[in-house]
Amino acid sequence: MAAATTEKTTTGFFFEGETGRNTRGLLRLIILCTIAAAAIASRLFSVIRFESIIHEFDPWFNFRATKYLVQHGFYPFWNWFDDRTWHPLGRVTGGTLYPGLMVTSGVIWKLLRFLTLPVDIRDICVFMAPAFSGLTAFASYLFTSEMSDSPSAGLLAAIFMGIAPGYISRSVAGSYDNEAIAIFLLVFTFYLWIKAVKEGSIMWGALTALFYGYMVSAWGGYVFITNLLPLHAFVLICMGRFSPRLYVSYTTWYALGTLASMQIPFVGFLPIRSSDHMAALGVFGLIQLVGFAEYVRAQMPSKQFQTLLRAMVLVVFALAFGFLVLLTVSGTIAPWSGRFYSLWDTGYAKIHIPIIASVSEHQPTAWPAFFFDLNMLIWLFPAGVYMCFRSLKDEQVFVVIYAVLASYFAGVMVRLMLTLTPVVCVAAAMALSQILDTFLVASTPDEGDANKKPQANGTPAGANGSVDIKQQFANLADGLRSTKAPLVGIYSYLSKSMITGAITAYLLLFVLHCTWVTSNAYSSPSVVLASRLPDGSQHIIDDYREAYYWLRQNTAPNAKVMSWWDYGYQIGGMADRPTLVDNNTWNNTHIATVGKAMSSREEVSYPIMRQHEVDYVLVVFGALLGYSGDDINKFLWMVRIAEGIWPDEVKERDYFTSRGEYRVDDEATPTMRNSLMYKMSYYKYNDLFPAGQAQDRVRGSRLPAAGPELSTLEEAFTSENWIIRIYKVKDLDNLGRSHQEAVAFEKGNKRKKGGAGKRRGPRVLRVD
Amino acid sequence: MKLLTILTASLLPFTALAVKKSSGDRFQQHFAKQLSNAGPLKLDDKLYGDLTKTPRDYSVAVLLTALEARFGCQLCNEFQPEWELLAKQWTRGDRNGEGRLLFGTLDFMDGKGTFQALQLQTAPVLLLFPPTTGPNAKPDNVPQRFDFSSGINKAEPIHSWLVRQLPDIPHPAFVRPINYLMIGIGITAVLGVITFFTVAAPYVLPIIQNRNLWAAISLIAVLLFTSGHMFNHIRKVPYVAQDGRGDVSYFAGGFQNQFGLETQIVAAMYGVLAFATISLALKVPRIANPQTQQIAVVVWGGVILGMYSFLLSVFRVKNGGYPFWLPPF
Repeated sequence: MAAATTEKTTTGFFFEGETGRNTRGLLRLIILCTIAAAAIASRLFSVIRFESIIHEFDPWFNFRATKYLVQHGFYPFWNWFDDRTWHPLGRVTGGTLYPGLMVTSGVIWKLLRFLTLPVDIRDICVFMAPAFSGLTAFASYLFTSEMSDSPSAGLLAAIFMGIAPGYISRSVAGSYDNEAIAIFLLVFTFYLWIKAVKEGSIMWGALTALFYGYMVSAWGGYVFITNLLPLHAFVLICMGRFSPRLYVSYTTWYALGTLASMQIPFVGFLPIRSSDHMAALGVFGLIQLVGFAEYVRAQMPSKQFQTLLRAMVLVVFALAFGFLVLLTVSGTIAPWSGRFYSLWDTGYAKIHIPIIASVSEHQPTAWPAFFFDLNMLIWLFPAGVYMCFRSLKDEQVFVVIYAVLASYFAGVMVRLMLTLTPVVCVAAAMALSQILDTFLVASTPDEGDANKKPQANGTPAGANGSVDIKQQFANLADGLRSTKAPLVGIYSYLSKSMITGAITAYLLLFVLHCTWVTSNAYSSPSVVLASRLPDGSQHIIDDYREAYYWLRQNTAPNAKVMSWWDYGYQIGGMADRPTLVDNNTWNNTHIATVGKAMSSREEVSYPIMRQHEVDYVLVVFGALLGYSGDDINKFLWMVRIAEGIWPDEVKERDYFTSRGEYRVDDEATPTMRNSLMYKMSYYKYNDLFPAGQAQDRVRGSRLPAAGPELSTLEEAFTSENWIIRIYKVKDLDNLGRSHQEAVAFEKGNKRKKGGAGKRRGPRVLRVD
Repeated sequence: MKLLTILTASLLPFTALAVKKSSGDRFQQHFAKQLSNAGPLKLDDKLYGDLTKTPRDYSVAVLLTALEARFGCQLCNEFQPEWELLAKQWTRGDRNGEGRLLFGTLDFMDGKGTFQALQLQTAPVLLLFPPTTGPNAKPDNVPQRFDFSSGINKAEPIHSWLVRQLPDIPHPAFVRPINYLMIGIGITAVLGVITFFTVAAPYVLPIIQNRNLWAAISLIAVLLFTSGHMFNHIRKVPYVAQDGRGDVSYFAGGFQNQFGLETQIVAAMYGVLAFATISLALKVPRIANPQTQQIAVVVWGGVILGMYSFLLSVFRVKNGGYPFWLPPF
């Protein structure tokens, strides 16, 4: 792609005037289409390697919801009460989801049907994310073209955005998640906002609000926009750059955008009731005050009056701020939502909301992850941010704020790498296009001419730039140190070819890196696992689907399945059975109940399961295959979450040995070995091995010679590679015995037959 | 003979009474002391033994801690004022000792014997001895133990734990006292800052409005965050570690791991690369002398190539299967 861009800039010199503009426009269009094709194509690894299948966990719920929408229509979907999840509570699904994604694919489905193209809804869902990534590339082209005068910056940003692994990680084919369309909406909303601030037009402001509303309907990350736009406006005001353009665009966006966001049932009155949205409201108030003060100042030239006015503005602002704080303290305004708050107070989630801390994508980001996801863009990024300071127009202030905030967020949470990627692509494209524009000029500057040349920006004027506004602020700038000297140009062809060659090499390396990362790290559906056989051929491990289809075909349609919440959506989507908890973690107590059932002794768990009408229990067990994402590895989180609700009954410490180790072998604590999860995982596992040789390939430890015994559950199904094990909860004993007694009795019978049970010990009183 | 037996038997309740009385006395004596010094009792081995002697009709909460600096127990020192505050408030709220709960602190220096007897390896540990006689008695003399393993250093969770362990006694509420000193400092600081700005505005404003300064701040922030500083902050990773052979190992093995120094090295590499890029893009085309310019181009191009290559080689250390590299390294 770099070659294409390079070619474009050089050929541009052969075309002059009106035809030249048309040629360039056509070329740009062709390049953008190619970029979109590349973006889509690089996301299809998983479809080609496996099949057209929905990935991971959350997408299964989105897929199920989409199917519901397509089958029952829009209004039933809006009012959907789902009694097949969170048994026995149910979930008001229509009111607790972000419907943007499902509605979008529903509309596309309807449209294709209308055009007599009967496409299966599953295929639309699978290919949704790649299609929108093409649009994202286009949106970042528009966004960057607003930022930079260079004609190549936008195209570079588009291709970076198209293939950067940081974005691909959440938008491969089959990853049917909210982020699939949300990133496009994010970038496009930012583009519209910049356009609105530049033009000061109500139309662009209203469009911003419209796409903001769409974004709110699509992803909870809309809060990022809700806070970033006011911050931009606030910084501009602080820099003394208040202007009628800013006033018009901000007020239009805020008023319409808030109304639009309130149409989503899940959001409802949050925009005026929660602290997450208060910054936007506060800046809305402030901008009115500043606008008023500016107006009065223009009318009244008296200097004392101006001082008074400024003081008044400050006082009113302080009072309003104090009032807001008071409302928050008194509880009228909800405090920061836990998820958002934990971004600032990084220790908060671990203590107070273990369920958020337990998710792996909420962990902080180590530096290799940044480099893995962004490669060379990560070091071009600071350079691009620095270039924004060169002329520091309103829109470049936006990029700087966005860059600093997003890198902070991405550092705190792996998942938010996604919001960082667009700005990294934009900034890196600005830096790189500056180099390319400088070193790709064919003509050599005249040495004598160098000192007379006036200062210029070194790039030809862009086709999209609106010059008059830029000029206004050009005078304000006091400039950067590195751009004080007048611009000359590059003299020797050696320099030009050296740098261009190196940059081309880096870009090619970047493409290789992106392809490699996408193919190796981000294209696994995680529902289907792939492994290599000794001869190098690919072996598909399909235990998940095997087990889910077993459930589907062998259990009653209303059989309740208990599992850890990670698998709730998949069971709902693939097995179509009611679950107790799922990935929509709205009820912490219910999840803790399941955690308690999993981490307690059978005698404690059985009543819990009976009370919740559990028919089957599903555990994921990776010891045979060495699959590390299994339930024993997640077990401590179950314990922690249960401990949060029942601190006296479940204690994390009891699961660690006296030396503080988490073990599953002979040295495991009694609490660990008696827990339902341990028993279900290792039940009859010993039988696979010669006596005393049972090996756990994940934890790398040898298991106790005698395996655990179950009395209240019986094994119902174990998948081919033992990844999924399903147990049936026994009914109450017919003779009214406890299950332990019943099992002991059965055993006693067998032993008698073998002639070993003749000796009986003295009678003892059972103390329980 | 029979008479003697009867006599002995009739005396038995009195012995019980006597024991109980002495237990009650013990409580009254210690509680008075606790009231007078408005905080937990300072224990030593002897006092600890005396307090936890078995027939007792009161509960004791003992914090076993190691406050001396040479033990380096940060949590102990953080929690100590909280513990004293909790004991003080509880005692004040229950002046008559209806709940029959005593608070005690046993420092390692005063109670080595107890620490050995309990086989304690870590501090702090909070033990709660329930009463063995009287109302609320528990049959076994096993203290409840609170572990600080999750890093709790506030009084509130301890308060709620005590409430849960002793459900049938009055529970004085724990109210964190208003820190007037902090409020005072805050107000003074705010006023000071405002005054400073009004006075120094003409001198400070040019600095604040300086674009180079803001560029530097933004770049440093971006470099810090993208090189994984927040990971260090949240996970509290070590700065450097020793490898097996006595050398310092700069880079942690594994993709999900890093050291403090490592992130600084990475940030420096990013910084150098970014600076070289900026130089190539902005400074080099402004050099009027062709020779100087040629040299500058070669130098900065070389720096980028070398640094990037080194960065890739470092990344290959972190991620074993990474296939790409650039010439020098």
